[in-house]
Amino acid sequence: MRGADKSRASDLRVTTTRGAGGWLERRALAVLGAATAVVLAVVFYYPVLTVFADAVRVGGEWTPEIVREVITDPFYFGVLAPIFGGDFAQVGDVAANTPLGLFGFTAYQAALSTIASVLLGVPGAYVLSRYDFPGRRTIRSLTILPFVLPSIMVAIGFVAFFGSNGPLNDLLALVGLGPVNLLFTLEAIVVAHAFYNAPLVARVTTAAWESVDARMVETARSLGANPWRAFRDVLAPQLLPAILTGALLTFVFTFMSFPIVLALGGFQLATVEVWIYSLVQQLDYAEAATLAVVETVLSLVLTYAYLRYEARQAGANRAANPPARKRLLPDDPTPTAALERAAVGVYALVVAVVFVGPLVSMVAESLTGPQGFTLQYYEFLVERQATGADFQTKPGLAVRNSLLFGAATLLVALPMGVTISVLTTRGGRGSRLADAAAMAPLAVSGVVVGLGMLRGLVFGVEVGDHRVQIAGVTAIVAAHAVAAYPFVVRNVSPLLSGLDRSMVESARALGATRARALLDVELPLVASGVAAGAAFAFAISIGEFDSTVILATGSSSYTMPVAVERYIGNRTLGPATAMGTVLLGVTSLSFVVIDRLGGRWEA
Amino acid sequence: MKRRTFIKSGAAGSIVGLAGCVGGESGGQATTADEETTADETTEAETTDDETTDDEETTAEGLSGTLTVATYSSFVEAPSSAPGPWLKEAFEERHPDVTVEWATPDNEMNYYIQRAQQGVDIDADLFVGINVDHLIRIDEQLGDPLFASSADALENYGHVEDDLKFDPQQRAIPYDTGYISLVYDSNEVENPETFDALLTDEYEGTLIVQNAQTAATGRAFLLWTVHNQGKDDYLDYWEQLVDNGTQIMGSWDDAYTAWENGEAPMVVSYSTDQVYANRYDQDMSKHQISFLDDQGYANPEGMATFADTDNADLAAAFMDFVLSPEAQGEIAMRNVAFPATDWAELDDEFEEYAKVPDEPVTFTYDELQGNLDQWVDAWGRQIASK
Repeated sequence: MRGADKSRASDLRVTTTRGAGGWLERRALAVLGAATAVVLAVVFYYPVLTVFADAVRVGGEWTPEIVREVITDPFYFGVLAPIFGGDFAQVGDVAANTPLGLFGFTAYQAALSTIASVLLGVPGAYVLSRYDFPGRRTIRSLTILPFVLPSIMVAIGFVAFFGSNGPLNDLLALVGLGPVNLLFTLEAIVVAHAFYNAPLVARVTTAAWESVDARMVETARSLGANPWRAFRDVLAPQLLPAILTGALLTFVFTFMSFPIVLALGGFQLATVEVWIYSLVQQLDYAEAATLAVVETVLSLVLTYAYLRYEARQAGANRAANPPARKRLLPDDPTPTAALERAAVGVYALVVAVVFVGPLVSMVAESLTGPQGFTLQYYEFLVERQATGADFQTKPGLAVRNSLLFGAATLLVALPMGVTISVLTTRGGRGSRLADAAAMAPLAVSGVVVGLGMLRGLVFGVEVGDHRVQIAGVTAIVAAHAVAAYPFVVRNVSPLLSGLDRSMVESARALGATRARALLDVELPLVASGVAAGAAFAFAISIGEFDSTVILATGSSSYTMPVAVERYIGNRTLGPATAMGTVLLGVTSLSFVVIDRLGGRWEA
Repeated sequence: MKRRTFIKSGAAGSIVGLAGCVGGESGGQATTADEETTADETTEAETTDDETTDDEETTAEGLSGTLTVATYSSFVEAPSSAPGPWLKEAFEERHPDVTVEWATPDNEMNYYIQRAQQGVDIDADLFVGINVDHLIRIDEQLGDPLFASSADALENYGHVEDDLKFDPQQRAIPYDTGYISLVYDSNEVENPETFDALLTDEYEGTLIVQNAQTAATGRAFLLWTVHNQGKDDYLDYWEQLVDNGTQIMGSWDDAYTAWENGEAPMVVSYSTDQVYANRYDQDMSKHQISFLDDQGYANPEGMATFADTDNADLAAAFMDFVLSPEAQGEIAMRNVAFPATDWAELDDEFEEYAKVPDEPVTFTYDELQGNLDQWVDAWGRQIASK
């Protein structure tokens, strides 16, 4: 009777929580954990596994044949294929023709994209967390904006801005440089991936930088360490987990990147996900599922390796105690200060080219018709809202749905993510595995998730005489929460595991329930992580497309990205870009609002 | 009749007078809420629907009920030019007791093939936008027929052009066709005129095409090269084409946008391009059509009734209407594709700017069956090999 033991133990506490509310509070974590598991099982594991099973089940028979064929196919695995197949004599031939294979190339472009995203993101985190300037908070809350943009918008912005006749080449020509031909190259894909993911690296790292303990740096300095050593030995270990988190997420995302690759790079630069999409289009599920399983295994192995590293870093007890922010115009001008400001200036220029340029071009496209400036695409939106038939997509409803789903996702994903963080930061090898498994929603191909949703939820399951189907609002919010909670976990876990456990133990000794200790003691201390997680959760919901478009079929629960896609017209992308600009505006405003609300609590 | 469509039609009926107000939204919400509560309501909804049908069977035309027409999204959504809304309005005007409902699942035809594969009943009566690739996929994937042959039930079938009839079993009834061609900017390049010219230095880096695995225009262009160069030589041709700097992009939108931005002077598109250029007052010298070797690859679109529809009469009436001279003209001008019949009413703009190749070419169902996947796979692996 473990329950009896527990209740006896709680009798020893100074205050005890009694009655149903007390029971709920004592069991809050267990209840939340169980609820999270149910949601994950229904809207993620079951649908995805129905598709993954196709890798080994063809025509009702279990068979390893397709898997064997795929992993020994040099087209997919390059020189690894003959090695997997045990046919070592072939290695030389394959190395000459297809050394990389689709997987090798995909990993290569993802690695380049990750490096670019870190190089572009970390300086951003530095500026945002170490400098004080007007609009800093607003810019910080807008950092993850690129993350929500539909790929069609990004493609339009990039083609317009970086194109051979675009503003970038016009500017370069003014200063006697250029022209730069970026489109249809690997570089274009890498820059576009950095556009999406550098903000992610920056946002995660900013949260960590804002909670570093500067006193430790001061101590190191007073003990004679020069600034570089103080940074390397004291500050860097505090930042590295966050930077690596950003790098890991970037690698996983860019590994599974798809529409942007074809829109900016071209089919010669196809990735694994491009192939999965086309196999699913041809209804060749076995091969598609096999490729998707390999993608997921790779991502999860990387995640697990990273989590083991993160666990080793944890336990360094420290309090958030960031150093004072610098001003853009230094108080006392030294050569070092001037040099640093110059570097910040150069960085601002790079940001202007990579982020502001394409974003402005996107908006400009929505205002440009065949005869120059026009408002006709916005007039279309207004007209569609006012007079569109009920079977057509209305912009106002899309905006409303996106905001509602975003808010609901926030409310569901935050408790899910925090619960999993608490349950997995208890230490031990088992919890690392559980933590890696909790990241699974990020590690599964979007195409497969969509297909699984269609089969498992929209088509439903026969239960007795009934067919149980799950679609509409509940399913969409659940799907968004499943996609979003890993971001909460990844932002909260590192900070949570860095907390001094004796504080929680003291609170528990004083009679607080586990949930109360979490709410009153731990969460306020990791508020910057929770705020970053919340911002991501909202962003994921706003930007989610693969599941939403499947679950919204036949109903009016479509969101802004779905509307953007549906407004792509014959020979004109104008209405789609206008809707995309609305998405941009609505999302920006929401981010600022969320950040301000979160900021009150963040202290 | 199916529960979902019935509920949707109910919602639609109640908000006709409120179009544009929040009423539209609450109507939509009702649908959504109902969808979450699954099969329990089926019986009730069916009963209600049957009563409705009984009441309306006394009307003069004899046609009543709700017809659910599945199609691709841009057929009903595309700004300004979608033919869907016009078709619904015009058909309902002729048959006051009939309601046309559109269903536009994101996976389009695959959605219905997958439903059939998973043993889920089909919740639509008719599919508009079927092509020969679909038919081949359906026949390869499904044992039971997904579509029924309905040509015999149609009064207007005789007006359909014979060389556009792409289904040997006459399930798919053609309603329009496009011809794949090149569109080129004559200020930048001259008309290449032949496939061979595309391999010359003069045309290096001048052409944008689409992925043949997933984009309809890209696939049609690939099949055109197979048709023109032969099935043993098309891969060699493509190797040279790619070596000469041809770009292969994901979708027609990607490709056309890049072309409009001047990334390359030629793009694979439709021979009706000038109709748009004229509508949007664009510089016609930038929108010239090139029929390589005087050919253009025809890709007709058809419509077909689902095999298990219980609305076959209504579906046939709708198809006959789509094949009528008035609807043929409207669809052609809105979709900017050629009519599939000999009696469409077309305006002068269309007659002047929509170009037809001297020699339309296309593969028949029989020629494609058993070859299509292989041709496309071999092409994809050659291009994307690393």
